[in-house]
Amino acid sequence: MTPIIELAGITKTLKGQQQPRVILDGVDLTVGEGESVAILGRSGSGKSTLLSLIGLFDRPDSGTYFMGGRDLARISERRAASLRSAEFGFVFQRFFLLKHLTAAQNVAMALVNGQGWLPRRKRRARTLEALDQVGIAHLAKHRPARLSGGEQQRVAIARALVRGPRMLLADEPTGALDTETGNLVIEVMRAATDRGCGLILVTHDQAHAAKMQRVLRLEDGVLRQVELVPA
Amino acid sequence: MIRLSGRFRSALIIGLQGIRARKMRTFLSMISLFLGVLAVVTVQAAAETARTLQLADIELHLGKDGTRTIYVPPIGQAMDVTRETLQGQQGAAASYTMQAIIGEPKVKPINPGASPLDHPEMYGGGYGPNARYEIRCDDTGNCRPVPVDESGAAPPGAAIEVMLVSMVNDVRQFRPYRPVSGTWLDFSSQPSYSPRIVINKAAAIGFNRYRIPAEMRIDGAIANPTPRIIGVIDDGNEQPMAYARADEIGNWLAPAEPAGAAVQQGGDGASPKEMYISSGPGLEVMFSPTAGETESLLIRKLVAAGVPREALNVNVVDARKNIEQELKILRWIFLGMAGLVLLIGVAGILNVGLATVGERVEEFALRRAVGTPRVLLAGIVLAETLLTGLLTAAAAIGVAAAALDVGIRMLGDRVPQLQDMGFPWQAGVAGVIAGLVAGLLGGSIPAMRAARIPIATVMRA
Repeated sequence: MTPIIELAGITKTLKGQQQPRVILDGVDLTVGEGESVAILGRSGSGKSTLLSLIGLFDRPDSGTYFMGGRDLARISERRAASLRSAEFGFVFQRFFLLKHLTAAQNVAMALVNGQGWLPRRKRRARTLEALDQVGIAHLAKHRPARLSGGEQQRVAIARALVRGPRMLLADEPTGALDTETGNLVIEVMRAATDRGCGLILVTHDQAHAAKMQRVLRLEDGVLRQVELVPA
Repeated sequence: MIRLSGRFRSALIIGLQGIRARKMRTFLSMISLFLGVLAVVTVQAAAETARTLQLADIELHLGKDGTRTIYVPPIGQAMDVTRETLQGQQGAAASYTMQAIIGEPKVKPINPGASPLDHPEMYGGGYGPNARYEIRCDDTGNCRPVPVDESGAAPPGAAIEVMLVSMVNDVRQFRPYRPVSGTWLDFSSQPSYSPRIVINKAAAIGFNRYRIPAEMRIDGAIANPTPRIIGVIDDGNEQPMAYARADEIGNWLAPAEPAGAAVQQGGDGASPKEMYISSGPGLEVMFSPTAGETESLLIRKLVAAGVPREALNVNVVDARKNIEQELKILRWIFLGMAGLVLLIGVAGILNVGLATVGERVEEFALRRAVGTPRVLLAGIVLAETLLTGLLTAAAAIGVAAAALDVGIRMLGDRVPQLQDMGFPWQAGVAGVIAGLVAGLLGGSIPAMRAARIPIATVMRA
């Protein structure tokens, strides 16, 4: 399996108003093409911080982060924005759909981001393709207010997939959904790994984590492999 | 370049989406900016209108910008030489003004001295053969108006005194008199013994008010011709004026003094000044800038006819420059005031912009998460404020143009110079610039805030 991302010895200390707190203390993680990884951990353990480092929202204090043979640990914000657009797709617990845009326009938002330009016809085709991947192409013209929670999250997943990312990063994507809808959303994301996309799922839900190929737990700033006992 | 273009288009698309999503806020921003942009447009439009009106008046009296004028003194054959040289020439015309009385013979005109008909005492009864005053010069050369001895004066009668302008070629190529009714003089036809005249509005008042017989007495004429009034024009003059072809008037005038006589007169001890005064009015010659050959030919001929070269000064009409200098200070003062009003609009945009960015923190953080660069986020906010500024400018320009149109409709009859006026493009440009500048100033701080929104906002939400 060809690795997409390789993190080694990643550390991160949060400097708040109180005393500095070490959140990540030497994290090692490699995710390959088509691989799905779940990260478990209690609240405040640093799961979201790790995800934000992987997604280039932030930079580690130390360690190396390789993607395609290049170290991204000290990358510029301009280059990071370009990589976020081209290589990563993000799914959040809240769907962050813009209420004044239709589902299709929300998906197309990731294509109209100043990273290259696609003519309207191509944009439309890719948007509909992404919506079709998550099974809601028929809702393209609906605004978020007319969609259910599951449908809204699938629009958000389509937005994450529309540029064909190599890595899908999901931060508690089922946190605001019921179990059945949550399962559906997990299946949609897993389907993306069938096309070679890597997936990192941060979740509290062990049932959803169990559906991933690997399950890791973030404790005391380091990642540990865990074996889940099937329910 | 493609990348820049993509960012520009992205900013425009997202900016338009933002405006559509927040119509009420956009409208409120526009209201606060509207008065400022309207003030700028109004000041610019008023300045341009004032300039056009002033220029139109100056063109009527002095001539269009660039017109080259020469005064030809009445020395010997100078007048005839000028007439012969200019007759039928393109880009050149000449005129000389005399006093004439149209109406009953041997009576005092209603407006002695060609005073305005509504104000016959304006010039104190006027000067000339039938006026209450005459110019008398003493031995030292000092001239002053002296009351005419009324005992031998003619009785009042049905006659109107006008300033008669005799023209060699059409002077309207230099002075665009506005037609009111009838026709203008035809300079291409054969001259008539019954001079065709075009009178101005001030003269038309008298001919409308009184029954005036068609007989014209001209200074220096050998007989009284019967004029035909063929049209009325607006020449911007309050004095009654009549315009005629010089060749038609010349048929009735006594032949000019031979060239040698005038020179001889000057040679007998009289100064050139006295010579000019004693010989009556000269010719005002006008040339277009392209008629340089005719101009130099005339000057050579006049010098050969005995006119001193130093007496033939060429003056160039440069009214636009003078007017602009006069209006410049006023325009800047009013633009400064309009700028202050515009600043209030900028503050409005700034206020609404900051509030909007505050509400859109998650949207901007999300956009950064999907790869939108900071500069584009700033561009999105600026695109929205610039588009708002442009929309406001369009509204302000539309209102100003409509107001000007209404004003012209209402005042057009009283101020004929307004009739041909449209909305000045300079005011439109000023409005667009004001709108864009206000959008830029009002949007820059919200744009910077938008660009600084931390991307992790979406993670913490």
